[in-house]
Amino acid sequence: MKTETLRMERVTYKEQGNVCLDNFSMTIRTGEVFGLVPVNHYGLNSLLKLLKQNLPLHYGYVYYREKLVNQWKRHQNTTNRISVIQSKSCLAEDLSVADNIFVLRAGFKKWLIKPQVLQKQLQPFLEEIGMKIDANAYIDELSAFECFVVELLKAVVSGNRLIVLVDISTFISESELVKLHEIIRYYAGKGISFLYITAHFEEAKQRCDKTALMVNGQIIKCFETRENIPDTFSLESVEDYDRWVRQQLSATEENQNRQAVFETSRLYYGSMRDLNIRVFPGECMVLQDLDNKIFKDLIALFQGEKPDSGQILLQGNVFSSCEDRRIAIIQELPTESMLFPRMSYMDNLCFNMDHRFKRVWTTGGIRKSIINEYGDLLGKEVFQCKVEKLSQKQKYDLVYTRILLQNPKVVFCVQPFKSAEVSIRSHIWELLERFLDRNIAVVILAVNLADSLALADKLIRIKHGKVQEIYDKEEFIKLPVNTPWLYLYQEKYAKNE
Amino acid sequence: MKKHKWYFLSYRVLFLGICAVVLTAFFLTMLLAAFVRGEHFLLIPIIIGCVLAATGVWLAYIWVIRPYRRMEERMKLFLDGYTTSSMSNSEEAQMTPTSEMMTHKLEEIMSSAELLNINKRQAQYLALQNQINPHFLYNTLESIRSEALIAGLVSVADMTEALASFFRYTISNVENLVSVEEELQNCKTYFKIQQYRFGERLHLSIECKEEEKEEIYSYRLPKLTMQPILENSIIHGTECKIGTGHLKICLECTGKRLLIRISDDGVGMDAKTLADMNERLQKSAKAFSAKESETKGGIALVNVNNRIHLLFGEEYGLHVYSMPDVGTDVEITLPTIMSDREIKNENRNLAYGTSDL
Repeated sequence: MKTETLRMERVTYKEQGNVCLDNFSMTIRTGEVFGLVPVNHYGLNSLLKLLKQNLPLHYGYVYYREKLVNQWKRHQNTTNRISVIQSKSCLAEDLSVADNIFVLRAGFKKWLIKPQVLQKQLQPFLEEIGMKIDANAYIDELSAFECFVVELLKAVVSGNRLIVLVDISTFISESELVKLHEIIRYYAGKGISFLYITAHFEEAKQRCDKTALMVNGQIIKCFETRENIPDTFSLESVEDYDRWVRQQLSATEENQNRQAVFETSRLYYGSMRDLNIRVFPGECMVLQDLDNKIFKDLIALFQGEKPDSGQILLQGNVFSSCEDRRIAIIQELPTESMLFPRMSYMDNLCFNMDHRFKRVWTTGGIRKSIINEYGDLLGKEVFQCKVEKLSQKQKYDLVYTRILLQNPKVVFCVQPFKSAEVSIRSHIWELLERFLDRNIAVVILAVNLADSLALADKLIRIKHGKVQEIYDKEEFIKLPVNTPWLYLYQEKYAKNE
Repeated sequence: MKKHKWYFLSYRVLFLGICAVVLTAFFLTMLLAAFVRGEHFLLIPIIIGCVLAATGVWLAYIWVIRPYRRMEERMKLFLDGYTTSSMSNSEEAQMTPTSEMMTHKLEEIMSSAELLNINKRQAQYLALQNQINPHFLYNTLESIRSEALIAGLVSVADMTEALASFFRYTISNVENLVSVEEELQNCKTYFKIQQYRFGERLHLSIECKEEEKEEIYSYRLPKLTMQPILENSIIHGTECKIGTGHLKICLECTGKRLLIRISDDGVGMDAKTLADMNERLQKSAKAFSAKESETKGGIALVNVNNRIHLLFGEEYGLHVYSMPDVGTDVEITLPTIMSDREIKNENRNLAYGTSDL
């Protein structure tokens, strides 16, 4: 008989009068990996808060390890022994691995700390999951995956019986995910439960025992992994996605006999080893780094660093200056990293236009023209809004339209779909497609393939800093991973074969 | 149980008021005395006064304001239709002894009225039982069965037998709680009857871990808990579906709970209908009083949910999960009890008293 690690029974939770979780019921059993796919992010942050802390409920009951820890009749504001691991690490970067795991732990009361003892204590934990991490290494020296393992070990050592993993596939590479899956299964076998929150149903189905779909702060359906999801599985947004991919599949364009707009030749820098890639105008290429190492180095090269050897060619000429606006970069989580809240909407929008119109900052006429031209697309009302008051969709519009106004030849998007809810992901496709319609090449830098493949003409997989595999659109069917919309590629290309 | 007078806010306010008056008078007297004596060093009386005032405010917050707010919240929830037990929480303070008595009285009235509604279904069965002598019914059905067998109509005989078993279980058994096994047997009988109508279009599977089967099957649950939900799944779920419908009953138990999930792969329901349905199940008091529930459908779920609430407490009950074109799951959460004596809820006697099945 499996006991329950967490039970949320008809929880209704309000924040400032707004219902964040509505009649939310969820049961996670001991040693279970429970997948949660939030179709929209409404209520997700509240759920994470409620898991960690027993905040006042409007209605409902929360049980942790079969004990009632929170109920609507009275609340104690206590905390639960639940860890939440997400892309933003909560480890102390200036401390060693052993210090983070043992010293920064509730209940650690020693005055004198012996690093050797901590090292010895850590060793069995690392051995049982087959990991090799130096106990004395500082956190900022570790890779994203190692940091993740350290956080996981910290949770295990602290005696937490439920570990929440939020969107981990956005910062852990595919090969590491396989290893991570083994680690999760090992700890699940020892009775630790996991709540695996991911934006993709396919991913959850692959890794979890049970998967729940969350919409507007309530769970609408749970699926067991062994259950066959009916063909009629037709979430509204999934239908949109299907339509989108079908459109992309039908739109074929020959890139032969055209000059590459961007090219790297025998490029060595940082983790990159003999990197050769080539992208044509109007082409969408996905660059998947299986080790999650080269993206920082690649972006650094565009920001002015010099390669150790090899060269970057832009429209046939050597790329030399970081001020060259023919290359644009859309950073990870652009609504947080690429907007300036103190600047007006118009200033944010025209930020990269000065190379096209020198007098953009002094002449109101140019800006008026922009409002006239883009008003229908962005909405007339947004030009008067403060940037921080914009909705998530409007923020994405602003960032992508800014790049569109910059008129680059190639756009590099770093994990464009990271942490975006389903409707926003679909909107990002539309925005990326605007680049492609204007014959601008798009390079998506992705760690996992979900979403990214929908627009792609080509996929390049990079391992150990160099190109390992290249797949054209018609070869996506052969991908050795659970590719989203695989069945659509199968429909189109398998018949031909 | 007689409550201490400090349990009531009225006494607390009175006590704090008297203290405030006495202390203010004392403080003013001290100030006046110091002024009369011509002392200009008033720091000590002022400090003492501030400390006393701060203590008074703190006491007033802990003792009066906070409990008052909680009571207010409970009343709001009650008015919103949440529960009948929400108003009188024995651990929380009440306004006055009279208001407490009034709350209890109100709950009492509510309970009996609710029970009348809750057991409407049972009352229908009861009426049937009163009008038709059960033995007459069974004997008639048996006669039909034997006639069918003589005529070589095996399917008619089987169908009649199933119908007789179903009626016997539904209207003859007087116990309120039955074992999971008995309830499952009734579900199978009901399904058998429905299969004569739907044929191969309908499939039922029961899933339970072999090692837990014996234990789970012996747990007790209110009679007619699963069958109405199964009926709902067939009528509202799979009947409207084109093609074969699959029904599944999953049984499992955790440390303290018995979980029964009745699933169908029928037409499902949209997010709004689902939210409304779960709200009706959550706000049981509203469901009791609102007449709309009778016209909106889903009365079986509300009925079963309310009986569970009354018998075992509001932390148990039903929850619905559904997606359009995918299907619906109804999850029933029950306590793991082996005998009727384990029911702790005080409403049990009331429930027994009115349903009398």
